[in-house]
Amino acid sequence: MEIKILELTENKAKFILSDVTPAFANALRRIAISEVPSMAIDDVFVYENTSVLTDEMIAHRLGLIPLKTDLDSYVLPEKCSCKSEMGCNRCRVIGSLNVEAEDGRKTVYSGDLKFEDPEVKPVTDKIPIVKLEAGQRLKLEVHAKLGTGKQHAKWQPVSTCAYKYMPTIEVNKRVCDGCGRCVEACPKKVLNVEKEKVVVVDLLSCTLCMECVKVCPKEPPAIKVKGDDKTFIFTVESTGCLPVKRILVEAAKILKDKGEELSRQIKELG
Amino acid sequence: MVEFIIPVRCFTCGAVIGDKWEEFSRRVKAGEDPGKVLDELGVKKYCCRRMLLSHVEVIDEILEFSKFKGEIKKEPW
Ligand SMILES: [Zn+2]
Ligand SMILES: [Zn+2]
Repeated sequence: MEIKILELTENKAKFILSDVTPAFANALRRIAISEVPSMAIDDVFVYENTSVLTDEMIAHRLGLIPLKTDLDSYVLPEKCSCKSEMGCNRCRVIGSLNVEAEDGRKTVYSGDLKFEDPEVKPVTDKIPIVKLEAGQRLKLEVHAKLGTGKQHAKWQPVSTCAYKYMPTIEVNKRVCDGCGRCVEACPKKVLNVEKEKVVVVDLLSCTLCMECVKVCPKEPPAIKVKGDDKTFIFTVESTGCLPVKRILVEAAKILKDKGEELSRQIKELG
Repeated sequence: MVEFIIPVRCFTCGAVIGDKWEEFSRRVKAGEDPGKVLDELGVKKYCCRRMLLSHVEVIDEILEFSKFKGEIKKEPW
């Protein structure tokens, strides 16, 4: 297995994963989406809501706000030793929001949420939650918990998490006369004509759409496009709750634990 | 899309777009090209772009009907 990083920032990663099976690449993708924990608001206690949105709608919007997650200091509620319905300091964070529009129209933002742990905060302060008219008020308490994308999409730490096969494009130099029809047909501008021959200029952008093969006037086509099912181009984008790097490391850890658990159970069978 | 208020996240991919609405609508109202504004805000995928591009902020109209005429009384509790 080999990983070659093409792009890596706090919230986005693009890399080539090679020498693995499609099953392995897919396991990594699915775990990153649905099993890496992140923090989101789960319980909302509404004390006063005179806004035009219903309590449920506001609770739903609050739940979707991604929160900066501290995976090392919190545990999943079902794994916490407290076993309490309301949770303890290790499995939930309490926050509050209290906004009143006094003299004019006012927007309530994610930044108005205040948590008792200063490490837990919305990834951005600018998400509108609701708009209030003069005299309206929103006062509530929230419990944020760790959870996984399997339970609810609000706990999914990634937005895009996808891979494609590494494209391989072969141009038969003896047959190709450089008519340029494939260059025009390609929606991703992967090809170009140089010295009356078609050459590949941007291989990684190829989406394996096969348009170039379809328009080639030669029979059989002078261009061959295939996907390599041992090499994968991954694109992962984080919602901001965790750095992408951490999400992928956690996903790999969970996959390893699953493998170890499987082999342990098989050994138990005898 | 006729939503009450700008959705927090993109319906398709789940990326946060709610925080970009105010700047987007302000700049588009001022006459800038929506496509250019989206590019500058870093909204790249077309699923997220349509969220902002097609949004109608209905809550602004609804709020007109919720204006309280008269004296604002505090709740008894
Ligand atoms: Zn607990
Ligand atoms: Zn999207």
